[in-house]
Order: sequence, then structure tokens, then C-alpha cells
Amino acid sequence: MTGIEGQDLLPRPRISPDNAPFWEGCREGRLMLPTCTGCGRAHLPPGPVCPFCLSSALDWREAKGTGTISTWTVVHKVWFPIFADRVPYNVIQVQLDEGPRLTARLVESDAPPKVGQRVSVLFEQLDAELAMPAFRPLAG
Amino acid sequence: MKINAAIVGTGASTFGRFLPQSQLGLAAEAFKAALEDSGLKREEIDGLSMHMGSPLGLDYDRVADGLGLNIRYVNQGWTHGRFVTNALQHAALAVSAGMAEVVACVTAISFTRERAILGGPGDIEGHREEGGTHGESPPYGLTAPAGGAAIAMQRYMARYGTTSEELAAVPMQIRRHALRNPDAIMQQELTLEDHQSSRMVVDPLHLFDCCLITDGAVVTFVTTEERARDLRQKPVRIAGMQGIRSGRDEFIFAPPGLGISQQPESDSASRPVDREVYGLAGVSRDDVQGLYTYDAFSPLVLFTLERFGFCGTGEAAGFVQNGTIGPGGRLPVNTNGGLLSEAHVAGWNHMREITRQIRGTAGDRQIPGAEVLQWGTVWGDSIIFTA
Repeated sequence: MTGIEGQDLLPRPRISPDNAPFWEGCREGRLMLPTCTGCGRAHLPPGPVCPFCLSSALDWREAKGTGTISTWTVVHKVWFPIFADRVPYNVIQVQLDEGPRLTARLVESDAPPKVGQRVSVLFEQLDAELAMPAFRPLAG
Repeated sequence: MKINAAIVGTGASTFGRFLPQSQLGLAAEAFKAALEDSGLKREEIDGLSMHMGSPLGLDYDRVADGLGLNIRYVNQGWTHGRFVTNALQHAALAVSAGMAEVVACVTAISFTRERAILGGPGDIEGHREEGGTHGESPPYGLTAPAGGAAIAMQRYMARYGTTSEELAAVPMQIRRHALRNPDAIMQQELTLEDHQSSRMVVDPLHLFDCCLITDGAVVTFVTTEERARDLRQKPVRIAGMQGIRSGRDEFIFAPPGLGISQQPESDSASRPVDREVYGLAGVSRDDVQGLYTYDAFSPLVLFTLERFGFCGTGEAAGFVQNGTIGPGGRLPVNTNGGLLSEAHVAGWNHMREITRQIRGTAGDRQIPGAEVLQWGTVWGDSIIFTA
């Protein structure tokens, strides 16, 4: 396959009008969630309306940054050349204490992820424009 | 509108790896075979339902042009497992509504030439606004559909204590079907040791939990039951069908309630909404003599069994032990050998097998007296076929 722009670079999140505040929050070291001012529920991925009650009255609120690993995997196969020197690496889904689930990576852990493991967020600054959320085991 | 539709012809190209033909070449081979099988003439084909398209395959217009067809009804999908049932359902709806007399369902695949697009750097599906459908998260290196099946199975294992050895029964039993199918690419027995020692692809999926990457085409002709009665083959009646289930309860590769991506968690078993197809077809689940499903990854077979209620929630890994889904089992699954062991022709190799089974021409694989067969997927759509 040739001519695919950026195929040798790390894939970047696709910033849209709906999720831009999430990624701005990451740059500032804050995990922001779109939260409905009507029904009070937070949701992910960020959408234009509350998927629970269809209200457009959304407010971006900072999450506590803690949650529980709901599932995980370890990737062994190299699908993108950019990940060749990283395999095997983990990917986790975290159920945030506010409810929505977020896909990220478990860091600062010697053991594989476990379903039910408590974690807290940190942010990895990739460059001037992009910081990505990751999670570390929550002490205690 | 009542469904009035039957499969009256099926044709396939060679299945293989690195086949020399173009996609259109494979489609032409399958199309001619379907004409021969059905006794229909090219001029009688007036509808196309495409289970192929951008970015992995041709669109309808090139197929109509390339095969010299005069088409008055088109349903265009793209090369993606989610749309296999959909393509056949639209063919059935179109002939039932009189929009076409005979619809050709066409899929032609050259996956071995398209590796870069299948979860690779050229996979633009995952790069769209809002990304892909299988929980892809390219910035974290979760880029391929297999990743979606892996995260679902990992949670399933944690929830129910299921092991990889138990999961292995799925590809092992489906391989046993393939050994009876001369068209199947995989022709060696798959042992538990083979499965367990095969390389890990995306934990917990071993190599043999993942489908084949192959080339091939299948063309399937659908017309009304009245027209079907005048044709060469015993009709395979489309007795009832239900569509894709979608919403926040759904994750493409998990049963409802498992808690993948944004699915709410519950331990509820198969719900009435999951099983409407039986009532619509006028059969009961107990009448089903064989199940056919999109086995891109072995966990999808477990999840499909649970969604349709062939067993309770968390029970599928137990259900598939001891040959239940293998040759001569209580519920044979994918008697052609499926995507796991026959070939990856996007589920249309399964439709071809369903057709042979109902006709009674499945040779060593024949389910005795096969009169009611089900196609059903983990994402909830289904078709019941009857004699």
C-alpha cells in the first residue's frame, strides 16, 4: 500500500468539534467529560447531544480521574509498522467512576492488566499539541 | 409486506490465497457458475445487492458494466462483515416489493492483496471522524477488528472463568467440518495442542482463533417463490429475517450486557428482541438443524449462541464442548468450515453451504433432512432458511 498519508507516523486522535474540549483538557492535565446538565450523566465518546436524554445542554466537567479496568488486551501482532518496536503492548478500557469507559494504556505496572483493577489517570505529553491519557495502578 | 423470496442459484470462484484474478475476474467466475447452477440467463438478472465496495472492493456500477448487466435495482454496501445479512435481506425485500425480478448478491474479495487496508496503516475506516466500529483506538495501537473480539473475550473470560482451551473447541470443531469440504483451504486436523501453541495475535486470541485471509467470490441469486418454482433447483426459501441491532446496548463483537466500550452491564440472557426471527419465520429455535454465523474470530461463535438463546449467558463455552457444534453434533455450526477454515468470502461461502444443505447436496457434510437452517450474527441480524 502506498500513498497513505502519515502511515509511518504514530496515528493521532481525530479531533472533531465534539471531542476537541476533551483533548484540550488532556493538554492541561485534566480529564474532561461532557456532562448533561439535564439528566446529570456524563458520556463518552463525546457527542453533540446527551445520548441518554437527547438534551443539547452539555457542560464539560473535570472527572475525578479514577476508575476500574473493565477489559484489556495485549497486542502481539504488528499491524502498523510504527508499533513494531513496542509489541507486545497493552490496551485497556477503563470504566471511569463517573460511568463512561475510556480506551487507553496501563503504565507503571510490571504485571499485565486485570479486569477489576483500580487505576488513576495521568497524561503523557507527546508533543506541543497532543497529550494522551494513560492509567497507572491506584495505590492501596 | 410479506417476504416472498428464495435463493435459486449459487456460484463460487476458486477460493485461495494470492489468486491471480482481479476482483471483477473472481466475480465473473462466480456469476457464470451461478447462472449455470440456476439455469437463469444473464438478461434475467435485473438487480444487484453488493456486499463489496470502497475501500476494499468494487462498487455496483463497475460490476454491472463489467458483466454486461441491465440493472434496475441496486443495494450498495461495502466489504465489511456487518453488511452480509443486510445485502441478502435487501435482495429479498427488493424481489418481494417487485423492484426487481432476480437480484444477484455479489461479493468478491482479494484480501491477500489488501493486507495494508485490513487493520493496517491504510485502514482508513479507523481514521474516520468517530473512528471504526470494533473499538479501534489507533493512537493506542488498537487498530484491527481482532482487537474488538479480543477485548470482548478478555472480559468474558474474567466474568465467567472461561479458558483459552475451552474457546479452542470452536475452531477445532469448525475445522472438523472443513475436513469434509473439498473447497476448504484448511485440510489438516486442528488439535488442542496446535491451537495452544499457535502464536498469540491479540490476547487472548491465538492465530487459530482468527479467520483466514483469502481471496474468492460468491454470487447468490434471489427471486420470488413463484419464479423459484419454475427454475432448475430446489428453492431455498427465506422464511423470516431480522435486522441489525444497534444502539448503546450493542458492541459489534459482544453480546448485549457484556460491558464493552459503552455497553451497559447486565447478566441478562437472550432477550425477546434478539429472537424475533423465529416468530417471523414461523419456526421455533428448537427446529433449527444447523447454525451459520460470521466466525471472523472464535469468540463470535460463543456470543452468537448466547444472543439467540441456544444456551444461557456465560454457558456457551460449555455448550461447544464434546462436539456439539461439529459434524453430527446437536447443533452443527458452519458446516462448510466457515471463515476460520474454509475461506474468508465474507459469509457468502456460508450462504452457499446453506443452499447446498437445504437442497440436500452437501455430500459428506449433509445434515440429515435439513429443512430449517439459521444464519445469525453476533451483531444480532438473522435469516431463517427453509425447504
